[in-house]
Amino acid sequence: MSDSGQVSADREFQEGMEEETASPHEVPSLPMGQWLRKNLFSNWANGILTLLGALAALVALRGVLNFVFSENRQWDAVRTNLRALMTLSYPESQYIRVWVALGFIVGLAGLSAGIWANWGGVSVKRISTWLMGTGAFLAVCVIAREPSVIIGTDGKVVRTVEGSPQRESFMDAMVDRSSWWIAAVLLLAVGAGLWSRFSGPVRRRVEVPVTSVVCVGLGLAVLSLWIAPYGHYAFISATKSYVAESGRTVAFSTKLPWTVMWILLCGFFLVGRSFQRSRYLGLIKGSSNLLWLISPLTLFWVVLRDPALDYGHVISTDLPMGLAFGLLGGALLWGLTRTGIGEAGRITATLLLGFAVFNWVAAFFGWYPMLQKARISFLLLALAALLAPNFIGELAKRRQLVLGWIGVTALVHYLATMINTPSTVELQSTEFLGGLGLTLFVALIVVLLSFPLGVLLALGRTSKFPIFRMLSTSYIEVIRGVPLISVLIFFSVMVPLFLPDGMELAELAAVLTGYTLFSAAYLAENVRGGLQSITKGQYEAADAIGLTSAQRTGFIVLPQALTVSIPQLVGQVISTFKETSLLAIIGLFDFLRVANSVIPAQSEFMGVKREGILLVAMIYFFFNFTISKYSQRLERRVGLGER
Amino acid sequence: MSIDDATTAANDRLADRDDMIVCVGVDKFYGDFQALKGVTATIKEGEVAVVCGPSGSGKSTWIRCINRLEVHQAGDIVVDGIELTNDLRNIEKIRSEVGMVFQQFNLFPHLTVLDNITLAPIWVRKKPRAEAEAMARALLDRVGIPEQAEKFPGQLSGGQQQRVAIARSLAMEPRVMLFDEPTSALDPEMIKEVLDVMKELARSGITMMVVTHEMGFAREVADRIMFMEGGEIVEVGTPEHFFTNPTEDRTKLFLSQIL
Repeated sequence: MSDSGQVSADREFQEGMEEETASPHEVPSLPMGQWLRKNLFSNWANGILTLLGALAALVALRGVLNFVFSENRQWDAVRTNLRALMTLSYPESQYIRVWVALGFIVGLAGLSAGIWANWGGVSVKRISTWLMGTGAFLAVCVIAREPSVIIGTDGKVVRTVEGSPQRESFMDAMVDRSSWWIAAVLLLAVGAGLWSRFSGPVRRRVEVPVTSVVCVGLGLAVLSLWIAPYGHYAFISATKSYVAESGRTVAFSTKLPWTVMWILLCGFFLVGRSFQRSRYLGLIKGSSNLLWLISPLTLFWVVLRDPALDYGHVISTDLPMGLAFGLLGGALLWGLTRTGIGEAGRITATLLLGFAVFNWVAAFFGWYPMLQKARISFLLLALAALLAPNFIGELAKRRQLVLGWIGVTALVHYLATMINTPSTVELQSTEFLGGLGLTLFVALIVVLLSFPLGVLLALGRTSKFPIFRMLSTSYIEVIRGVPLISVLIFFSVMVPLFLPDGMELAELAAVLTGYTLFSAAYLAENVRGGLQSITKGQYEAADAIGLTSAQRTGFIVLPQALTVSIPQLVGQVISTFKETSLLAIIGLFDFLRVANSVIPAQSEFMGVKREGILLVAMIYFFFNFTISKYSQRLERRVGLGER
Repeated sequence: MSIDDATTAANDRLADRDDMIVCVGVDKFYGDFQALKGVTATIKEGEVAVVCGPSGSGKSTWIRCINRLEVHQAGDIVVDGIELTNDLRNIEKIRSEVGMVFQQFNLFPHLTVLDNITLAPIWVRKKPRAEAEAMARALLDRVGIPEQAEKFPGQLSGGQQQRVAIARSLAMEPRVMLFDEPTSALDPEMIKEVLDVMKELARSGITMMVVTHEMGFAREVADRIMFMEGGEIVEVGTPEHFFTNPTEDRTKLFLSQIL
């Protein structure tokens, strides 16, 4: 690791130098002894506090370690049920679909990271302190944990006369944990080696790109799957039997896909980076964003469900309808963007909007039948017609709008058809997908959908027009006054009434709707904070150069407001992700519920809960900590150079 | 001496030109406070009019009424033959004909200098991007900072920012430029670079209305100077008349304080 890091460090050296000269001042770090005295032992009271704090931390660490490594822990329950924790009862025979879906997201993530990359670097100093710190922490852990119990020849814990388990001596324990010692010493040695290779200022200046650190780190993790004896654990659903073989590497069906994932991530990162100097960068950025928007839905409803299309129905109904909306709608929009259309355009758009809204009212009262798809399409067409005045003029712009409309229509009709077609994947339970897969899916969709809605609400609340202001404010206040659980329950009862009969996943659709509406209200408040930070001068300057109020909002106000509210928005993403655990309340099997009630109900692991919940907590933490770290980077990046 | 007398006497050179900005009896209230009291003035095409006066005299309010950043309550404002009313289309039309430069620059901090300048031409004038960018670079050249095109406003000095702001207004090819104390927020050593750009602009024949305390600038390039106090135009005259032989006592007092 240090070698590959070194190579790229040399390559990046020049850039690091330039950045350093730009940063204003640098306080030289104190030698170890002075640093300790200044920060931890500046007077006797601080000294005592430091010692007490260290003691408390040590006690807590010891407690956690003793809990994790206790002879009472049944980690097999988690190991054999990893698949259930990830996807619940998705059939193994179809598991390739899960990997394809994951691979698509991973590849897309790599591509975006490459395209948008200016990820900056990590200084050698930080890497080396991190390595040494981890090594030292590992060593402390090895010492702090109490000696293991002695397992007798019969496989049972040897107990003293009083009945408490007998533990090995401290020295024996240290010898038993020699592999941990080796790991700790290795980390310390690599860290120290890296530290001593560079002189003080150089250590701070030389930077290794973050991306290569991540790439190498993940690569080592994947490599360890092939060589480290993590053990082979699985639940074979066909025979309803458990496999638990310690001492060998993980199953081939685990390590191969993860290796592919790693290759996809790094490969697409390089592809993305090579696009950075391409002429078509704008186009590539646009299409990768578009893929982010549509892929979660497509992967979930098309790849994972593998719908069985009824081709008769497709040819007789779905295809003609899609074509009609695409072509006739396109023609209408083409007409609406004619130069000199004037008021007629606005009137047409308003009439269309009225008709589209009326369709929903009619559907509610059952006045006339109309496919859901058609109602959605009419609404979208009305919105496109309202946007049309912005595209009046050049031929290229008009074409943009019409082609955009045809694309949206194709996508919406395709997805709607797929969603309404039953799945061919044979499930063992009523739940289509559960576990971490469901958690991530719901969180992603809710964040993606609530974002535009929340921004609209925020704009409405700060609008000049009293009616928008009133509607948005009352919506936000009502939603904020109701707990999420009651919103979810309400929607799980109500939404199925509005959906076509026999639609699969009605529960999930209900949850997504309810949670999105809930999240949007909170998001709106966060965005409003950003909107209020925009100075009056910005509005005036935008007005003075003749922008319309829509252009002013889109080009001047929103970009700045959203930048300002990044910390709050990230906070919201994190809490949305965590609160998906409430899905359990309305009967979905999210990640936490699998650990809390599915695993403990299995006959082999009756009542084994703590292990699963600890793992779930750790995975939640991993995701949220990553998001938080990323947002810190993002804040630093947008803060730089633009202000 | 009445205002009308002063206007007619001020400058024969402009007499046969078309009217560009006509204000008749403009009143503006902030609550009970009357900021403008029947302001009446005509600015001819190609004229450089400097508005000066003590702070709080209503000069900024007046200039901001002309492109409807402030709404006047009584009187008429006609810009290039278009009357300012509540009709949104008239307001948009006037704003695209009238450029404005602010005391605080008000550049868009999240856009590069080039994007700041090309935004309105592309989206309001519907120009192709390449054409807009070529014009933006030419304008940056004209204001003397062609090398700053790719930077963000935060990376420029105050004087450079104000020059970008001028270029941004010019990019709309306006018939009138309004300057609202363009040098008041600048350090002394940067004032000159902005004034130089404004002088060059004044000689190019564009109609300009400038609220400023820079009397040197007024003396050098103004066709007429308007002195305001208490929401009224107190005195109007050519620079020679204004600096050497002011008629009103309030003007004399102001000049004695500022010169």
